[in-house]
Amino acid sequence: MGKRVTFGNTFIGIALIVPQLLLVFTFFYWPTGEALYWAFTLEPPFGGGNQWVGWQNFETVFSDPKYYNSVKVSLIFAVGTTTMSISFALLLALFVDRQLPGYRVYRFAYFWPYALAAPAVGLAFRFIFAPQAGFVSAINTYFPGAWNPATNGNDAMLLIMLANAWKMVGYNFIFLLAGLQSMPRALLEAAALDGAGALRRIRDFQLPLLAPTLFFVLVINLTESFVDSFGIVEIVTNGGPANATDLMVFKIYTDGFVGKDYSLAAAQSIILMLLVVALTVVQFRFIERRVQYT
Amino acid sequence: MTARRLSVLSALAFGLISTSALAQAPIKFDYWYGLTGQLGDVMAEHCKRFNASQSKFEAVCAGQGGYDKAEQNTIAAFRAKQHPTIVQIYDAGTVNFLLSGAIKPATELVKEFNMKVDWKDYFEGVSNYYATSKGEMWSFPYNSSTALLYFNKDHFAKIGKTEGPKTVEEWFADIRKIKAGGHAACGFGFDFDTWMPLEQFSAIHNLPIASRNNGYDGLDAELVFNKTKFADYMKDWKKLLDEGVASIQTSQTGKTILQAFTDGSCSTVLSSVANHGVVASTIKPGTNWGVVMLPVYEGTQRHNSLVGGASLWVMAGKSKDEYAGAAAFLDFIASAPEVKWMPNATGYIPITKTAFNQMTAEGFYKDPKYAGREIAMQSLTFTPPNEITRGIRLGNFTSIRAEVRSELEAAFTGKKDVQTALNDAVARGNQILRRFEQTFKGKTLP
Amino acid sequence: MIERTPILNFVTHAILLSGLVILLLPIFIVLIATTHDLPTVNTVPMPLWPGSHMLENWSAAWTKGDFARALVNSLVVAVGVTVGKITIAALSAFSIVYFRYPGRTVLFWLIFITLMLPLEVRIVPTYAVAADALRPIKALFSLGNIDIGLPEWNLLNSYTGLILPLIATATGTFLYRQFFLTVPEELCESAKMDGAGPLRFFWDILIPLSATNMAALAVIMFVYAWNQFLWPLLVVNKPHMMTATVQLDRIVPGPLFGQPPIWNEAMAATLIVMIPPLIVVIMLQRWFIRGLIQSDK
Repeated sequence: MGKRVTFGNTFIGIALIVPQLLLVFTFFYWPTGEALYWAFTLEPPFGGGNQWVGWQNFETVFSDPKYYNSVKVSLIFAVGTTTMSISFALLLALFVDRQLPGYRVYRFAYFWPYALAAPAVGLAFRFIFAPQAGFVSAINTYFPGAWNPATNGNDAMLLIMLANAWKMVGYNFIFLLAGLQSMPRALLEAAALDGAGALRRIRDFQLPLLAPTLFFVLVINLTESFVDSFGIVEIVTNGGPANATDLMVFKIYTDGFVGKDYSLAAAQSIILMLLVVALTVVQFRFIERRVQYT
Repeated sequence: MTARRLSVLSALAFGLISTSALAQAPIKFDYWYGLTGQLGDVMAEHCKRFNASQSKFEAVCAGQGGYDKAEQNTIAAFRAKQHPTIVQIYDAGTVNFLLSGAIKPATELVKEFNMKVDWKDYFEGVSNYYATSKGEMWSFPYNSSTALLYFNKDHFAKIGKTEGPKTVEEWFADIRKIKAGGHAACGFGFDFDTWMPLEQFSAIHNLPIASRNNGYDGLDAELVFNKTKFADYMKDWKKLLDEGVASIQTSQTGKTILQAFTDGSCSTVLSSVANHGVVASTIKPGTNWGVVMLPVYEGTQRHNSLVGGASLWVMAGKSKDEYAGAAAFLDFIASAPEVKWMPNATGYIPITKTAFNQMTAEGFYKDPKYAGREIAMQSLTFTPPNEITRGIRLGNFTSIRAEVRSELEAAFTGKKDVQTALNDAVARGNQILRRFEQTFKGKTLP
Repeated sequence: MIERTPILNFVTHAILLSGLVILLLPIFIVLIATTHDLPTVNTVPMPLWPGSHMLENWSAAWTKGDFARALVNSLVVAVGVTVGKITIAALSAFSIVYFRYPGRTVLFWLIFITLMLPLEVRIVPTYAVAADALRPIKALFSLGNIDIGLPEWNLLNSYTGLILPLIATATGTFLYRQFFLTVPEELCESAKMDGAGPLRFFWDILIPLSATNMAALAVIMFVYAWNQFLWPLLVVNKPHMMTATVQLDRIVPGPLFGQPPIWNEAMAATLIVMIPPLIVVIMLQRWFIRGLIQSDK
């Protein structure tokens, strides 16, 4: 990473990054450090004298079958929802980029879902997909019991994946389109003159040039599906039925925020963070290597 | 610059002229409440009523977006020394606050400020829930409710009944008949909330949920509900579900139990009396409906049901002035007119005997809009509370409820059999209790 | 267009149109729900044609949520976060990509890791910091037994308190880094040959080039800040400082109380809260186009 051509003025370089570092130190590292310290103690809700318990909280976490379940469903959710939303967004972005008449309408409208707050998305999806009331309930009149996210864990998982993917399509779309549109048009036109068809151009020019942006949305989507899926889960399934959608961050939230067990939540936060960091390192090492930057 | 200097000058001038006016400015104190929606509006209204009733104090009231968030926000604020003077905390948060060291016991405030509150005037079922094991009040009872069985009289008329069921057996027979006769899509709608089936059911059957008198006697209590009649009760529910007589009604299925009751698809549901007003205003016009006490199994001596809702806690570390304001506010809301105002505005019950007697005398319960709510009072006062029916005092009860809930989900969606699910719930709940005990090592419940 | 391809054009329109339907149907249903009275909204299934109660639902939602005030607050916060993040992230990414000093990879990761632990998880200690933002710095100095006499800086109930913690994340830095890495080396080379210093290169060349990405980031950040819920709920407890999403939550009661939500009004409030981010999208559309034209030159 980094450029061959750089500036030598180290002082300016460091001065430029200081504001960001100050902010992350004050509002991220300090509070996070405090929370992580709790992972090795038993912290009473109101504070006032915690006890050092070493690895006990981690032992509690790792001896809990429901914790492994939550790791499993988080992975399924992350991979599923990321695949759905990036591929759909890429499809739409490639086609909008052809700039046929009316593409401005699409370009504008596709972003709408992202503008909705997560709880609102959750409400809308719960409403539409409810087995007794929603519009999808029609399926059940033909195939009784075919769709019931309230009692069937797989249906519930599919539902939150759809809701999250639907919301993220707008996000991915906007970045992918920005990436596509900042490509030199001349290059594509030259390729077209050489007789390269649309699919060829996508494969040989647009996708390779889009790789940095694709890499960005991949990392962001995977990370966000781990750490930012809370709003949708809470409204749509509330972690149920029977923990089928009990994602890691939702479990941390319910154990810590709702259950007031800050220490257990802190231990889980460390594990979540290590997992996401590991995942990101893997992406940087194995995927970014294939990304051509200039 | 000039503007600022001017404003400083004018502030000084203003200060010189109007010291006397400033002295009369009301003393402010913060009050946070948890209720949202229509009920949150009622909370805000109660604040306004207090502020309008006198000029010495001003309650600055802020909704926190839910009971759980009110508790969490208060804890976060306390850690940063930014907490309010008064906070509304729901029943399940009681133990946390008793052990917190962050509060000022209600009795202390009453003594310091010579408050008019008469503890004996509260219904015992209400006051006992918030009292220490020695019977001292540590918080002020506020919005209170209990559970009832709601039934659709039209459905019951079709099987020749005019009265609601009194026993569990009778209730199950009724709804089986209704379902068999095709008078309703579902005889009984339920969700996975534990308050009705576990907590209220155990109280009215005089069954313990945990050892050590439901936890009142110490933090070393252990859950026992998998071995009581509650387990049979849940097995019976499962049977009804498998027969198609009962159905699961949650917001995920599309209709909550209340919606399923008010649109006529379910003949009976168990819910809080606090929802009495909601049912009255949203039920399909022309529907005849009523409420009865929660049914008991035949051959069981009925006991009092439990109070639910929230109480008001006074936090530690505030100024004398703020405490004076808090005392005035709490005296205000405990006065008979205000205790009576609450049931008018919501479905909550009057919490003092004086207010209840006055309301009865004034014919409140004869009004068709409110008729039936007196049954909640009968249920709550059916017997004097004993060591088991006075309440539940378990550490981190919110998490225990969540565990029971998720195990019930597993049982009712067919992933586990009922007894296994309850055994698992007890085992996991006990782990939560042991962690809590360890966290509060060396502390005892007051 | 580049060439004439009628079949491909047809496919394009078909796909784009079905994408539109899939993405907008939920919003359409929400919109329809705001035009009915409560009993109609609660019927199963809800009718899909509009009713006649739109005005009263919207005005009820507007008054109940006190949105006149709340939208202004949200706007201040969202603009603050957007501007702050775009600026700070551009500076730090520039520093990481275009300078070679020891430890810059470490610094990048230090910033990047902030993506991996959401605010929800560390909200209690973050709140404690917001109550005195200088506490971490004081604590650092007091490790060396130095009391630098910093005052207490309480951010609760202030715009600063709403904005600063939301800026302290890495999305922007990461995006700029990704973009700067695609900028041809020759640009920097020739700038250096022309004798331009780093700041001049940054301002005259990099910033104009990043317009499209900046617009995208601005949109995302605006929406992100606009939709924050837990943080404003905690940091603000004075009614006049409440943000729009907090007010929205007040209209939709939580599940604890068993009250059926007043869907028609709640959905109207949802749409009210959704409109400002949409306006931002419309306004920033121009930038997308401008960015495009520039790269075409």
